Amino acid sequence: MNMVVCVKRVPDTSESEVHIDASGKDIDKSRLSFGINECDNYAVEEAIQIKERLEGAVTVISLGSKESDEVIRMALAKGGDEAIRLEDDAFAGGDALAVAKALAAAIKGLEYDMVFTGALTDDDGYAAVPVALAELLGVPHATYVKKVEILEPGKKAKVGRELEGGLMEFLEIDMPCVLGIQTGINEPRYASFKGIKQAAKKEIALKSAADLGLDVSDVGEAGSWAVLEQFTPPVVGEMAEILEGEPDETAAKLAAILKEKGLV
Amino acid sequence: MKDIFVLIEHRRGEMRDVSVEMLSGAAKLGGTVVAVLLGKDVDAFAEKATGYADKVLYVNDAMYENYNSELYQKALSALIREHGPGVVLMGNTAQGVDLAPALAVELNAPLVTDVTALEMDGDKPKPTRQFYGGKLDAHLAMKDADLYILTIREATFVAEEPSKSGEVVKADNPVSEEIPYRKFLEYVEPEVGEVDITQSNLLVGVGRGIREDKNMPVVEELAQAIGADLAASRAVVDAGWLPSDRQVGISGKTVKPKLYLAVGISGAFQHVTGMKGAEVIVAINKDPDAPIFGIADYGIVDDLFKVVPKLVEKIKESKGA
Amino acid sequence: MCAEELDFVEKYDLLGCIQCGRCTGGCPVALRTDLRVRCFMNDTQNEERLEELSEKPEIWDCTTCFTCAARCPKGLEPLEVLIGLRSLQIEEGKVQPTVRDALESIFKDGNPWGSPRAKRLDWASDLEVEVLEPEAEETTDVLLFICCTDAYDPRVMKAAQALVKVLIAAGVDFGLIGDDESCCGSEVRRLGEEGLFEMCDEENVELLNSFNVNRIVAISPHCYNTLKKEYHGLKVPVLHYTELVAELLEDGKLELPKEVAKVVTYHDPCFLGKQNDIYDEPRYVITRIPGVDFREFDRCRERSLCCEGGGGKMWVESESKEERLAEIRVEDAKEMGAEVIAVACPFCLLTLEDATKVKGVDEEMQVMDILELLAEAL
Repeated sequence: MNMVVCVKRVPDTSESEVHIDASGKDIDKSRLSFGINECDNYAVEEAIQIKERLEGAVTVISLGSKESDEVIRMALAKGGDEAIRLEDDAFAGGDALAVAKALAAAIKGLEYDMVFTGALTDDDGYAAVPVALAELLGVPHATYVKKVEILEPGKKAKVGRELEGGLMEFLEIDMPCVLGIQTGINEPRYASFKGIKQAAKKEIALKSAADLGLDVSDVGEAGSWAVLEQFTPPVVGEMAEILEGEPDETAAKLAAILKEKGLV
Repeated sequence: MKDIFVLIEHRRGEMRDVSVEMLSGAAKLGGTVVAVLLGKDVDAFAEKATGYADKVLYVNDAMYENYNSELYQKALSALIREHGPGVVLMGNTAQGVDLAPALAVELNAPLVTDVTALEMDGDKPKPTRQFYGGKLDAHLAMKDADLYILTIREATFVAEEPSKSGEVVKADNPVSEEIPYRKFLEYVEPEVGEVDITQSNLLVGVGRGIREDKNMPVVEELAQAIGADLAASRAVVDAGWLPSDRQVGISGKTVKPKLYLAVGISGAFQHVTGMKGAEVIVAINKDPDAPIFGIADYGIVDDLFKVVPKLVEKIKESKGA
Repeated sequence: MCAEELDFVEKYDLLGCIQCGRCTGGCPVALRTDLRVRCFMNDTQNEERLEELSEKPEIWDCTTCFTCAARCPKGLEPLEVLIGLRSLQIEEGKVQPTVRDALESIFKDGNPWGSPRAKRLDWASDLEVEVLEPEAEETTDVLLFICCTDAYDPRVMKAAQALVKVLIAAGVDFGLIGDDESCCGSEVRRLGEEGLFEMCDEENVELLNSFNVNRIVAISPHCYNTLKKEYHGLKVPVLHYTELVAELLEDGKLELPKEVAKVVTYHDPCFLGKQNDIYDEPRYVITRIPGVDFREFDRCRERSLCCEGGGGKMWVESESKEERLAEIRVEDAKEMGAEVIAVACPFCLLTLEDATKVKGVDEEMQVMDILELLAEAL
């Protein structure tokens, strides 16, 4: 079983304030921490667990600048075998379909049975890459996958998709295929420093748009249908009444409100 | 203006709310609204859709009994090529997201997923969607194209009362045979645990802000003091700190308690969708810009580890008083 | 796993063990968990059992407090065997998600708290502090090494802020590293992540040696212990802040004009007391604060009970439901009528303060860093 995993390095904004920068089209990333996109981390683990059970190789692919090597190396340290990084100024500003085009061009030449990506990214949240990628590769897909069972290596898998309300939809899918992996499917392992050091010896193949046979007008912002005009703070409904003061005071105010409303 | 296609979403004998929402929203964009319905003997849904659409394109075939993206894609691309709509709307749901990107690639059409607001500039959509887990709105400009495919977040449009009386057009099934490479097997219900949070009157929702398993007693004490059950965001369930039957949100439960006290929950829409129907929402979060404050009635901007223990104290006092 | 890693017998001198049981006998967590360190001293002699032993959850109960080593009549360090077993799990990537996230965060951002490096100095944003330049011509007397927990934890940073106020009041010539400061790696090593610890050692030694300073003062006993005893090639001496403050008081450079009329006891941090024999300086400092009524715990100094905050325990929850050691400590403090448990370690501060809440005595009893008491006396 040969597998490909696509990973992306993203800023972690889950617990940080997000500020729009002067251009209005990007955020100030100087005070953010970066790491592997959350779903992608589970995708890496899923591929590696399958490799450990059934033998085979895992190729890690990332589209991004040099900093992305860090997330690639962590995936290699966990058990990835080869790595490709797609780097080209022309890739910048691409929407999900443009990203999928670049990934597809890189994957086309590889021998693979399954491609794993995260179901969605923490930054733009398009959730479109796995499904678009499958169509570009001409193979079947499933996304929001939270269960993978290999029925016949290289041939068939049983896949569970997580639907609204936690309902699972099980389906049978032929290989090769692309699966968009949802968080919670497994428990991602730790990449030890020693492993990362050893992985640093592995070569990360760099590919530009030209290397992939892509015209620069097909990728990045030029190859995107949707272009970001500007960011604004989200429109919120009526803001909550914010209780002010030290923890002692805010807690007392809230307790009083809850009591008045008969909630405690 | 060209027609707007709206894909009707249904599952296990129920038409999903997002369908009527999209039809209602599409009616306001101008142009002819065409509901597209693929299913097996779902005449009742076709009938319902006539109240919102100018036309209902209904393909009735056993192969559409359960959603299968490959079959849906084949059918939709054929119908789109035949009828030439300018915009196709689908729900940004586990179904829509599994389908729209492939369809867009096949038809070489622009795609924007998870749209949260939509205007039209002639035949060209001007969508707004969110980045960074709902922390920013992104306003997008679309390049010129003949067809645009958009997936619409649930509750983006308000479901209106029926005001149209469209006709049902039964279309021939454009797909001649089942496909072998992706087969629907079955639906499996999530496991039910000891507490059914959909029945709880009072809920304390705990999110990523709790940071560690060993901090759980902080919120457990709060829940105990109030007499509430614990609910959780996805991150907490993924980490294994609470069982999956406590998860609130799109892929979890939808709850409507009298009180939802969100602790350390930023309020990404995936979670908010499941709890915004609560009568009173209170949020405690250290990020003043956390989207949860946009839907909460009361908020405290502070470190939960400072506020919650105090709150437990005050609630105990007020109960004693 | 390669052969040299498996050679536990040689690495930890296991054949020297006489199985007297003083290690388990003195082990504070043996009171509440299944950990029996003597058994590991015996069982790890069988190389074939190492993998199985490394999968036992109780190896993560050890707080690396050092009592077992301090009491071993043969001079062995049983805790290191447990760390060795942990490292086997680390190599396999099989660790709790909280441990994984803490270690990844240190690798990426230089701190275990999942916070960006760029926010490292936020704790000092309202203070007048100098950030040192590497290779400066002028010598600065003191370089403050701020623990990640002091830098990022909203409660603990108050201790770091108090330290700055104290040093300014005493006219000390000091500076900070700023955003380039990284985790010392004390917990990294004790979680069994040897490779990452080596990185901490190399990078921090290079960084610290680049500053033109007379001495380094660490706020945390864990950083202190690691910088002083586990780093390779550090050029200047390392002190714990209690040593510096004691010196400032003795030399009359620090004056404490205000009274702090409180009954205060002191909890010895394992990494300051048991592991570095610093018992007198903290007591000297506390008793120099006017108005303080100082009382000793029954179990104090080398017999002091561990708070269970070290050895990576900030990220590992024990399966035991028995009373935490910190809770026992708080009860003892309550019995002697203490209003303040003074500490000199960020982990002790957090674990003991939690325990006062669990015990419901957080109204009448405070847990404070000695620095916070000093700041009140300024």
